[in-house]
Amino acid sequence: MIPRWVTAAYLLYLGIPIALLFVGSFGNLWLNTLLPTGATFKWYVEVASDPSFRRAFTTSLIVVVLVCACCVAIGLPLAYAVFRAPSPRVRALARMLYLLPVALPALVLAFGFILAFSSDVLPWLGSVWLLVAGHVVLGLPYFLQTVVADMQRLGLRALEEAAESLGGNAWQRFVDVVVPALRHSILSGLIVVAALSIGEFQFSNLIAGFLNRTYPVVLLQAFYGATGFACAATVLLLALALLASVAGALSAGGAARVAAANG
Amino acid sequence: MSTAAVSLRDVSFSYPGAKAGVSGISLDIAPGELVVCIGPSGCGKTTVLRLIAGFLAPQAGSVRLDGVDVTAAGVRSRQCGIVFQSYALFPHMRVRDNVAYALRVRRVAPAERRRRADEMLELVGLAGLGDRLPAALSGGQQQRVALARALVFEPRALLLDEPLSALDAATRTTMRGEIRRIQKARHIAALLITHDQDEALSLADRIVVLREGRLVQDAPPQAIYDRPADAFVAGFLGRANLLDGEVVAPDAVRTAIGRLATAPHGRPQGARVQLLVRPERIEPVFPGALAGSDGDAAAGDNVFAARIVHDEFFGASRQLALAVGAGRLEIETTRRGAVEHVHVPRAAVQFLSTPP
Repeated sequence: MIPRWVTAAYLLYLGIPIALLFVGSFGNLWLNTLLPTGATFKWYVEVASDPSFRRAFTTSLIVVVLVCACCVAIGLPLAYAVFRAPSPRVRALARMLYLLPVALPALVLAFGFILAFSSDVLPWLGSVWLLVAGHVVLGLPYFLQTVVADMQRLGLRALEEAAESLGGNAWQRFVDVVVPALRHSILSGLIVVAALSIGEFQFSNLIAGFLNRTYPVVLLQAFYGATGFACAATVLLLALALLASVAGALSAGGAARVAAANG
Repeated sequence: MSTAAVSLRDVSFSYPGAKAGVSGISLDIAPGELVVCIGPSGCGKTTVLRLIAGFLAPQAGSVRLDGVDVTAAGVRSRQCGIVFQSYALFPHMRVRDNVAYALRVRRVAPAERRRRADEMLELVGLAGLGDRLPAALSGGQQQRVALARALVFEPRALLLDEPLSALDAATRTTMRGEIRRIQKARHIAALLITHDQDEALSLADRIVVLREGRLVQDAPPQAIYDRPADAFVAGFLGRANLLDGEVVAPDAVRTAIGRLATAPHGRPQGARVQLLVRPERIEPVFPGALAGSDGDAAAGDNVFAARIVHDEFFGASRQLALAVGAGRLEIETTRRGAVEHVHVPRAAVQFLSTPP
């Protein structure tokens, strides 16, 4: 009985702020009352027609796509190298190293980036690429963790050896076996990375240039204005995060199906 | 004499930084022959398989397949079909695509590879399951898929790495027979790695026993069981009573269980020897059987008083541990009831080479 109540209370606690955001985004006026008064759709129209929000929305989408691409391009070979490390000690060390950024506050990373990239030698502060680089640093540990664990669970080594004994060359083994066998973990790793990139505020707020601010950075400004507008903008962020996850899931699933269909 | 399908000559390999490995292994497998390689864990049996498959390159010696030296060749060009301990089926491919993978990388036309994959699936008894995913199959069925996949490209040899260890006891017995049937049907040279003595004795045309990286004995199952090279082989394949003793007569040895009459052995008086008596060769003598003979035949002919220490009933047979004299004997019998004396026939006593 008690566990059920605790669960219910916790779900309520989780759900209420989100529910209030929803309600608020459709409310005409919301001052000191429990619930807003009057129903309207105008806040969404206003957010959608706001040029800085439109721009931030696009920037966020571009950043999340680039971050996911980089995570796969860097993370997959890295995960493979860790998985194939010759000794358990090297593997444990590598694991500690790649999990380190999890303990690193995004703020610290941002200050580091500001120091490194505001110089004349590396004058890249404010570029989209720097934003992507930071998000990759923050997201990669989660991607690696998921993929390396899956490699171990699947017994990827034996799968590759099987493919090799059957005559598959290195490229065929990678395309026919490694990637499709890992598709679930690559996918779930990317969902985490995408959600992280879309919602990331601390780092982006300090690093992003004025013209390529991400959505959460611009969102903060909204809370200085009308409540309904802020709620609508936040709901859009939520939708964006969900959309990125679903899109990631579908595209990765589609890629895997294509690979399997070639078989 | 035809060339061996697989031939190892004085092959040595040691893992960097580790003591484990194999040394001086020579081994031939004829086409159609099933050789079982057995030994305790860490004896190097999987290393032997990986040396033949090409996953490891020997530091000394040579590996030949069908008479061609492949010591320096890679895994792909060796074309050995391998059944892995974990089966290593591709989890994202349907059973038919798993089986056909070797044909796909060889660019066999889709219709042809489908036909050959289905043919193999029929041979292993999985006709009609080609569209399933491996995860939807039982352990025994996955094993069959692995076998079909390893055989579909007509490999030079079939290598099986502890293929039955992940199966339950009943399936294991069935698959044992299946592996042998399929291997014989394809008339392929096969090496099967195991640590299970029943598997080795029942499956093999020849058994190779490995210990600490060295080949201890290479002989057909019956020969290995009846004439083990040493105490280790005797104890590893089948149950064994090993008795240390000293020669006291041209046809007798003094052991912990008493004076044991043997066949004439031609060893010098006082020599230290080790004797082997298989438990099933020892006969219990039941109360009353000795009456009338007054024990004189008994005393001269290896009849000993015994006390049961441990009694285990297996249905068809019974295994007893007996205290005899100052030593112990294990016996296996089909008879019920108390055992107070045992008879060790002279013919059942074997001399092993000098104790280690």
